[in-house]
Amino acid sequence: MKKIDKSKADAYFREKNTYMIVYFIIWAIVSYGIVLFAEPLSDIYFNGFPLHYYMGAQGALAVFIILLFVNAVMGDKIDKKYGIDPNKNEAIGRGSTVDH
Amino acid sequence: MDTQFITSLAIILATFALYIFIAIYNKAKETSEFYVAGRGVPPIWNGMAIGADWMSAASFIGMAGTIMMLGYDGLAYIMGWTGGYLLLTFLLAPQLRKSGSYTVPEFIGDRYKSKTALIIAAICTMIISFTYSIGQLSGSGVVIGRLFEIDAKLGTMIGVVLIAFYAAFGGMKGITWTQVAQYIVLIVAYLVPVIFMSLQITGNPLPWLSYGEIVGKLGELDRELGLSEYFAPFEKGTKWQFLALMFTLMAGTAGLPHVIARFYTVSTMKAARWSGAWALLFIGLLYFSAPAYAAFSRFILMTQVAGSKIAELPAWTKTWVDTGLLKVADTSGNGILEWSELIIANDIVVMATPEIANLGIFVIGLVAAGAMAAALSTAGGLLIAISSAFAHDIYYRIIKPTATDKQRLNVGRITIVIATLLAGLVALNPPGAITQIVAWAFALATGTFFPALVLGVWWKRSNSKGLIAGLLVGLGVTLTYIFAAKYGGFTILGIIDTGAGVFGAIAAFATNIIVSLATKPPSQEIQDAVINLRYPEQMTYKDGEVYMEE
Repeated sequence: MKKIDKSKADAYFREKNTYMIVYFIIWAIVSYGIVLFAEPLSDIYFNGFPLHYYMGAQGALAVFIILLFVNAVMGDKIDKKYGIDPNKNEAIGRGSTVDH
Repeated sequence: MDTQFITSLAIILATFALYIFIAIYNKAKETSEFYVAGRGVPPIWNGMAIGADWMSAASFIGMAGTIMMLGYDGLAYIMGWTGGYLLLTFLLAPQLRKSGSYTVPEFIGDRYKSKTALIIAAICTMIISFTYSIGQLSGSGVVIGRLFEIDAKLGTMIGVVLIAFYAAFGGMKGITWTQVAQYIVLIVAYLVPVIFMSLQITGNPLPWLSYGEIVGKLGELDRELGLSEYFAPFEKGTKWQFLALMFTLMAGTAGLPHVIARFYTVSTMKAARWSGAWALLFIGLLYFSAPAYAAFSRFILMTQVAGSKIAELPAWTKTWVDTGLLKVADTSGNGILEWSELIIANDIVVMATPEIANLGIFVIGLVAAGAMAAALSTAGGLLIAISSAFAHDIYYRIIKPTATDKQRLNVGRITIVIATLLAGLVALNPPGAITQIVAWAFALATGTFFPALVLGVWWKRSNSKGLIAGLLVGLGVTLTYIFAAKYGGFTILGIIDTGAGVFGAIAAFATNIIVSLATKPPSQEIQDAVINLRYPEQMTYKDGEVYMEE
């Protein structure tokens, strides 16, 4: 175990949170935002659907899936940037169980 | 016995044999295998298992029908039941995995260093999971009963024996791999009919692309009949009810103990992240298809069934009229069945589709097997959650900390059998429709675990008094609102019982924060442990410093 600069660990946490906040803003716009403005959006058509219906039935869900995969890939990238080794994590993670 | 009966029976028995074989092959030998599958499940497979765990009889049997009835307003279920995975994967799953606990109550008990908190959380887990499993068992009873034309009660008992056997035997390890198989069975069973329907109606084998024009045509048909359009928003409830329901379903998803438990089975925080992504992709396959089912079925019913002579209705209508789920009364007495005279129960849309679209006996049997897989896989996950809350959190952590591995496994198995039998007994006379029972479980999870876990992970100042007060107030407000809205006709902004979770969550967050701030902060050790959840496994936070494993 080596002591590292706390500011480096904090930067890691901040960077992950910044991304998370961006994901949540997009998440809120495609679900809650669209519902709030459903009436005006219903005059716009997309692929045969009125837009509000399309977003509820397919659009929001597609964005959710993309956000989750972006989060998984970006999470790995951020880990790499801060020198986190996935194999090491696995070795620690498997053993880490609270004392039973 | 006709060919249909034999085909369906053969398909269902073949899938049952597969599940039991997998459970025996993956028998749990240690407690860590029984509760968390030995923590080595790869993310893609865990994603499928989460999908099966998650998609219940309500998703498989009920959702397409609900959307068909509610039109746009039913899409709150699509967005709500999927958007929750972002809350879960970003806010809770990796952090809970790092904590190393076996169960959700154990995390709460350790985080707040409080036995009272552990016991309350274990009881909440049992209440929520038990409520939910009643819905699954009565769902499986309906499927078995209708298929074999036996009493739904007998069908329920067959489901109970099967679930008790394989869940008790395989534990989480066996459940994981049976759920993977169940996911494959249920998704194939769901997609085959909708793809055929799409081909029949639009000539395009991709329903997700082709049903847009059908939605447009449904709007035209509605206008001709002088009804409000299929896709018109907020016809069946207020905008606030839509938003409240969507929030309740999202936050409930992130707070359901049996779903969170699946994230404990992977090896790392990274694997938890990837599990969430794979899970929503696999779940999305079904959720993308449900509105297509709804649109195609409504289109066939409106154009081919409505408008025909009462005496010349297709043969399949008779079987469903017999079950009481379809009503075709010619109230106007003109000998022609009009659209307004056709009354359809939500639950028959998916089950009747193969007959409506004339897809043949093999597909009918396949859909029945898929519905059973959906009910059984969710019930299995729920029973493990109940069993771990009792055998691990209450028996081992509170009553007998000296218990051996063998004793703990035995208590876990006995709990599963007793819980299944109890849930089966209640399911013989279910207190509400499947979707309603499921909606209550979500409201309860939203009002209790969601605030407790979010604050537990993200706010180190939250203490045990705040948590206990928050859990009790959240539970109380949610239950009160459900009863007041359902039986007293009391509503705020038109929000009915299914959206009750939003009030429970607000009350629980506020109570937890106010009581925590008014009382002593938690010990430095606890606060350090909370900060430690911010970092990956390799980094450890201790006494204001961060250490990294090389």
